[in-house]
Amino acid sequence: MNDRQKKIRNFCIIAHIDHGKSTLADRLIEKTGTVSKREMSEQLLDSMDIERERGITIKLTPTRMFYNYKGEEYTLNLIDTPGHVDFTYEVSRSLAACEGAILIVDASQGVEAQTIANTYLALDNNLEILPVLNKIDLPSANIEKCKKEIEDIIGLPADDIPCISAKDGINIDDVLNQIVEKIPCPKGDINSSLKALIFDSFYDNFKGAICFVRIFDGTVKVGSQIMMMKTGKTYEVTEVGVFCPAMKQTDILSSGDVGYICASIKNLSDTKVGDTITDALNPTKEALAGYKEVQSVVFSGIFPVDGAKYGELKDALEKLKLNDASLVFMPETSIALGFGFRCGFLGLLHMEIITERLEREFNLDIITTAPSVSYHVYKTNGEMLEVSNPSMLPPISEIDRIEEPMIKLNVYTPPEYVGAIMDLCQDKRGVFIDMQYIEKTRVVMKYHMPLAEMIYDFFDNLKSRTRGYASLDYEIYGFMPSDLVKLDIMLNGEICDALSLITHKDKAYARGRQIAEKLKKVIPRQLFEVPIQACVGGKIIARETVSAMRKDVLAKCYGGDISRKRKLLEKQKAGKKRMRQFGSVELPSEAFISILKTDDND
Amino acid sequence: MTMTSKMIYVHIPFCDSKCYYCNFCSSIYSEKIKKNYFLKLTEEIKLNKNKNINISSIYIGGGTPSSVDEKYIKTIIEELYKNFNILKNAEITIEANPCSINKNKLLCYKNCGINRISFGVQSLNNKCLKIIGRKNTKKQAINAIKLARKCEFNNINADVLIGIPNQNYLILKNTIKNLIKLKIPHISCYMLINEKGTKLTDLIENKKIKVVNEDKSVEYYNKIFKYLKMHTYCRYEISNFAKDNFECKHNIGYWQLKEYYGFGLSAHSFIDGSRYSNTSIMQEYLNNKLEYKKEKPSKTQQIEEMIMLELRTVYGVDVKQLKNLGYDIVKEKKEEIDFLVKNKFIFLKDNHIKICEDKFGVTNQIILKLLP
Repeated sequence: MNDRQKKIRNFCIIAHIDHGKSTLADRLIEKTGTVSKREMSEQLLDSMDIERERGITIKLTPTRMFYNYKGEEYTLNLIDTPGHVDFTYEVSRSLAACEGAILIVDASQGVEAQTIANTYLALDNNLEILPVLNKIDLPSANIEKCKKEIEDIIGLPADDIPCISAKDGINIDDVLNQIVEKIPCPKGDINSSLKALIFDSFYDNFKGAICFVRIFDGTVKVGSQIMMMKTGKTYEVTEVGVFCPAMKQTDILSSGDVGYICASIKNLSDTKVGDTITDALNPTKEALAGYKEVQSVVFSGIFPVDGAKYGELKDALEKLKLNDASLVFMPETSIALGFGFRCGFLGLLHMEIITERLEREFNLDIITTAPSVSYHVYKTNGEMLEVSNPSMLPPISEIDRIEEPMIKLNVYTPPEYVGAIMDLCQDKRGVFIDMQYIEKTRVVMKYHMPLAEMIYDFFDNLKSRTRGYASLDYEIYGFMPSDLVKLDIMLNGEICDALSLITHKDKAYARGRQIAEKLKKVIPRQLFEVPIQACVGGKIIARETVSAMRKDVLAKCYGGDISRKRKLLEKQKAGKKRMRQFGSVELPSEAFISILKTDDND
Repeated sequence: MTMTSKMIYVHIPFCDSKCYYCNFCSSIYSEKIKKNYFLKLTEEIKLNKNKNINISSIYIGGGTPSSVDEKYIKTIIEELYKNFNILKNAEITIEANPCSINKNKLLCYKNCGINRISFGVQSLNNKCLKIIGRKNTKKQAINAIKLARKCEFNNINADVLIGIPNQNYLILKNTIKNLIKLKIPHISCYMLINEKGTKLTDLIENKKIKVVNEDKSVEYYNKIFKYLKMHTYCRYEISNFAKDNFECKHNIGYWQLKEYYGFGLSAHSFIDGSRYSNTSIMQEYLNNKLEYKKEKPSKTQQIEEMIMLELRTVYGVDVKQLKNLGYDIVKEKKEEIDFLVKNKFIFLKDNHIKICEDKFGVTNQIILKLLP
């Protein structure tokens, strides 16, 4: 191995959400002088507005730093990772590009659900794990207790753990030193043919699709002929470079490096994240392991408020898809909403973020239907259908049974909330499996629960019942038959497909009533009475009525000034534009959103 | 060449006191400003002089035209006669407040050719009058109307408000009943609107008085409609009820897109297809050169205005006229029209789309369905 490669360290930072990952990343960048103090903006690597506002990291953002260790300069490549449970997939992507991981534990919170989950991911990828205790400046920090947790729960030695405050910049050098000392340098042969892993990609209007890569073997430079191993397509490289953290062009990328490749790649789908890039003229025999195909667990219909914007919505989804391989979508038609897409997400947060990005970054007004899971529907003729859109459910007479996805749920909580959580889980059709004291002040409760219950207001409920102290992680473990029914909403006697839901039989009544009440609040009065009915299998279980509108303003036309009348008319016209015509009923887009979440005051 | 006649509106922005619900262009001004205002108004009328134009109606509104010295009114009317060709049978209306009217004023009006008086009665219930800040009592209003009759004004209108806080149907009906007894041939019923920035809205926001529920207002309106119909008042426009031949020509003119001059502060004109407006700031009006803000409605706006305005009347909107403007409503809105006809919101008669008698309350919603 050459000397250059010996002085490279590729690592990521993993942590539970809020434990200070992005802050530490910023300190490392600052300490190594990669970005001057003047250029530092709060949480440098979270470049999306949504990321900064919510204080979360969604995208992977790599950056290259230089650190002087015992008189020698080392290159440190950091790949920032998301912390939320929804983005486990993205974490695993960055892990595959690294040799080591810094595991941050909040000294005041201790080991949390995502700390453990991410540690396991890192171990699966054979990474060297460096635990770090953060937020030691907080009065509630308990260093000894946290060290013990790290040893007991995670099983890592904790005696020389750096105790830092990323916020105040305390002991950051300890972290940098340990990165050099403990994380192995990248292996790989600079002289064999190119082998680069695409761990992310990005669409640039001028340069086309840009691949974020980790070079394992060989080199790549401008003019190199490269090939995508999955598609077999070849390209000529137009630019290579590194992240500092802005993209900076370099002459060459060699084994061990983290950087980017541009090759005038026009088609977004040709830069499959997880694919291996190799030399087109001298291809490597074996591709890198790549990633597990990601599974969508939450599905929802997305429609443009203005039906004419279907094309724009499609373009926007395609652009998002390039940076977010976990987003899946296919065209869908709804009687109520027209043309749109059924989209698959990693979880509810992911769904929220995608819809928010569509609205903000692409300036689209969209309607999102209630999230659903994917059911396995076994028909009496033996056929099995995967149904993620409630309106696609076959008639009851053709259904033998429906199976729903089940999760193994771990809830971590202080013991005083155990009762409240048990109530909640029971209410959500959870089956209690086990409960363990991790230590005196921390319990892990294990449940088996239908995923559908999890995606419907479980998280909000858990947070409010435990004042935010509980955290959770979950994984899907299989499908189980269940007594599920389709709940339809009829407006003026017609089923509104976009409002249909699949729900457990025992809950249909309550939800039907709740939705009918909600709709009554959001549907404006129309020229005639609009009955809202919730029904299951043709049987009406709840009914509300929006009474007919009768009032219009009868104002005087003072001195021939019709501008007031015009203004009113324009206002009413604008309001009408945001309405969806369903049969003879006009529905505001809020009608579709309002059924997604429960109000606490209901 | 015979030209279709036009109308004239004159705005008198003066009041003795401001009513709590009012957000129109009116205020309490000094005598000096009043004097200057009428000078400027005269100047404006002269500026638009055109003896070839036939005028079929004049409307002197406000504000409270009856609050100013009658000599001003006389000057203005005379000035209009000098500068335009006022038709012999022209309808000439003045708005009056029961508080500020007296015999001298009425006789003066009569002498200079005014033949119609519109009283801002609003209510004949003392409590209701007080709540909305009207200064007169029920008795004063009745006396004013009687006085007008004595002075040989037969064409009288009374404005009535629906939805005054504390007003119940009985109170409202009593007001109407009294007006019928007084043989008033024209009644306008408006709904009280809480406009931003008015004292009434303040009072409501501070929970000093309670607003009348919308459904109740409509219920009252529909009942009043039936009550007036029983007494042979015809509703020729959403808010206007009249005995045969007492329909207000000027009012109908607005709804049927007849052209008009508007003189005075914040007055609007509609001339040769364009809409003009005057400043609504008194200082600007008095001191600056007269300058009108002009706006020419686009084809679509013309169509929209025609539907919006004409549908408010019993005469309805002329399908052929819309077609002339390039909007084949019967073809382009077939689905909507079928739906509205089927559900008895509108009907088609003699090439006109008209709103069904009991559906005037939702005119705006119907209009929205019919716009291009």
